[in-house]
Amino acid sequence: MKVQQSMTLMEKLSILADAAKYDVACTSSGAERSGDKKNMGNCVAAGLCHTFAADGRCVSLLKILFTNECIFNCAYCQNNCNSDVPRASFTPDEVCALTMEFYRRNYIEGLFLSSGILISPNYTMDLIYQTLYRLRNTHHFGGYIHVKAIPGADPLLIEKAGFLADRMSINLELPTAEGLKKLAPYKSRNTILKPMRQIQSGIAENRNEIAVYRKAPRFVPAGQSTQMIIGATPESDFQIMSVAEALYQNFNLKRVFYSAFINVNQNAQLPVLPGGPPLLREHRLYQADWLLRYYHFTVDELLSRERPDFNIYLDPKCDWAIRHLEFFPVEINRAAYHTLLRVPGIGYKSAERIVKARRTSRLDFADLKKIGVVLKRALYFITCSGRMMYNTKLDEDYICSSLMADRTQIPRDIREGGYRQMTLSDMDMAIAQS
Amino acid sequence: MYIFICEDSLEGILTGVYDACASGLGHRNIHLVSCEPENYELFCEYITVSPSEEKAKKVINTILCRFGRAFYESIYQAAMSGEKQERKKMDKADAIYETVLLALSWGDGQKVLLSLGEPCVYRVFELCRATNREACHHLQFLRFSELGNGVLSATIHPKDHILPFLAEHFSDRLPQENFLIYDETHQLAAVHKALKGYLLVGAQDLDLVKIKQYSKDELEYRKLWLAFFDHIAIDSRRNPSLQMQMIPKRYWADTPELSRFL
Repeated sequence: MKVQQSMTLMEKLSILADAAKYDVACTSSGAERSGDKKNMGNCVAAGLCHTFAADGRCVSLLKILFTNECIFNCAYCQNNCNSDVPRASFTPDEVCALTMEFYRRNYIEGLFLSSGILISPNYTMDLIYQTLYRLRNTHHFGGYIHVKAIPGADPLLIEKAGFLADRMSINLELPTAEGLKKLAPYKSRNTILKPMRQIQSGIAENRNEIAVYRKAPRFVPAGQSTQMIIGATPESDFQIMSVAEALYQNFNLKRVFYSAFINVNQNAQLPVLPGGPPLLREHRLYQADWLLRYYHFTVDELLSRERPDFNIYLDPKCDWAIRHLEFFPVEINRAAYHTLLRVPGIGYKSAERIVKARRTSRLDFADLKKIGVVLKRALYFITCSGRMMYNTKLDEDYICSSLMADRTQIPRDIREGGYRQMTLSDMDMAIAQS
Repeated sequence: MYIFICEDSLEGILTGVYDACASGLGHRNIHLVSCEPENYELFCEYITVSPSEEKAKKVINTILCRFGRAFYESIYQAAMSGEKQERKKMDKADAIYETVLLALSWGDGQKVLLSLGEPCVYRVFELCRATNREACHHLQFLRFSELGNGVLSATIHPKDHILPFLAEHFSDRLPQENFLIYDETHQLAAVHKALKGYLLVGAQDLDLVKIKQYSKDELEYRKLWLAFFDHIAIDSRRNPSLQMQMIPKRYWADTPELSRFL
């Protein structure tokens, strides 16, 4: 491995953007900060996506690795020390210049800085810290910064970086400790969960400080996130979602991201996916993730040891509703907010609108449509003033077949890919379910 | 039936609301339109409203005092919408007029905004939502280019009149930059001076050649941006239809990374 001194910024950016692209989290949400006259930049709580790449994923942050010269040999990663890819490293000043110039042109919302492990975890984390320090203090950058905590780095360095960043994340990489041991021998559950715990308690402490002294510096104000690779190891959806739920409950994570596995190294340890990455499975996991975070579902309600995988033909909420018809039909004009949340076709926004709107007048199906309820899904499960929309039966098979006829159950972009993304494991699931 | 023809602006529409209320012709007999109708109807009297700042201000004051900020913002955003008038749908000015009347008679703006069952309220809600969406899209997809003299310039083609909102956002974000946002559809420009506020000016005198004279750095960083954009996509996940769904084609021309593909 040799550092090429003569590499241009363009070459470095190409290599290190390429190296960073498999990281999923590109959101700029969670921090709200208005600008001041000294700094350049502000943050919008909902986050902004500045463009969408050819794969349809949003580009919100300048997502780059600081370096891809890595001493680790994680099997799933294209930057592992055994793979034959061009290597490059930025200097802190180059990262600062790129971030500032892109930011003022409104190309990006901020910086997403991750890194391979150069020399040692501490050395790398220190470089990242220096970059952030310069960005915030020399260049007066007030935009969003998402930074990776390097597993195994000194807690002090992580803390110092945390006071400069908006969001921090440590990738869980694989849902189980065994998987990690097998595919990423230099990483362990311990080195991943320790900094995660540290950031969690740091955020909690910082909240108390801010309560006492409003101007106390903020520690990771947008919270922390993590990501898991889906389909590289044989875990079931039940295992994956249970891990995610535990992370939300025990580590107060803001988001868990799921990344459909892509075999970049053609490594013999890893599964071959002739149908391409398991995108539909990833989609179902995200849907379930939303059910956990916004709809007060628990994993045990959605899946069980006997039914460990999601139904690929129906979204998890419809799937749950069909198996729990005893809760339905729900009367729109009377049901509690939490009950409304469980109806397929009613999102949390429309549930809120329903609760507010029914204070002034009785709601009818026409009103629901205006509120934004997706009636083609909801109509089997609701009544308005005691009436169903059509003469439908509350019968599992009947509703199931009607819902399956709705093509939007599988998102258009996945469907129009000619279903090429349906992988062998997906097919196994389909056979098991039919 | 009396039809008040208003100018298509907040001032014009609110003057229309004022005149309609003051005319004493009876609310049931009055409709407002925000553009000259293509076909005149029989048995209708057409009254052209000339916008007056004073009258509009009176209406705004009443709305603010009695129904609060949120209600005014909805009315404002609806008025800023540039949606083409379809025959089936209620006219913008008419929807605003009726919504204001409804709020006046109920005495509660919040309650009115939630009654989406009322056609006029629903129309205002629709227009607001569309304007909001357009504004948010422009916050994301607007691109500045650095000119030779260090000024940042951007050209946009929004459907709705969202320039004030954009100027507000970018003044907060880039306080130390001199920038200019040129709204080509509405022939308006927002000009921001470093560490000062911004101004909205008519774009008749804008030198269109000058705002395309980029600095040397600009082309360099543009190239870097394009390289980044190309490398960040994962080939095995290529999905043009999803991309198009997320950033509709009408925004492509104004962004350097996608205008290449048009």
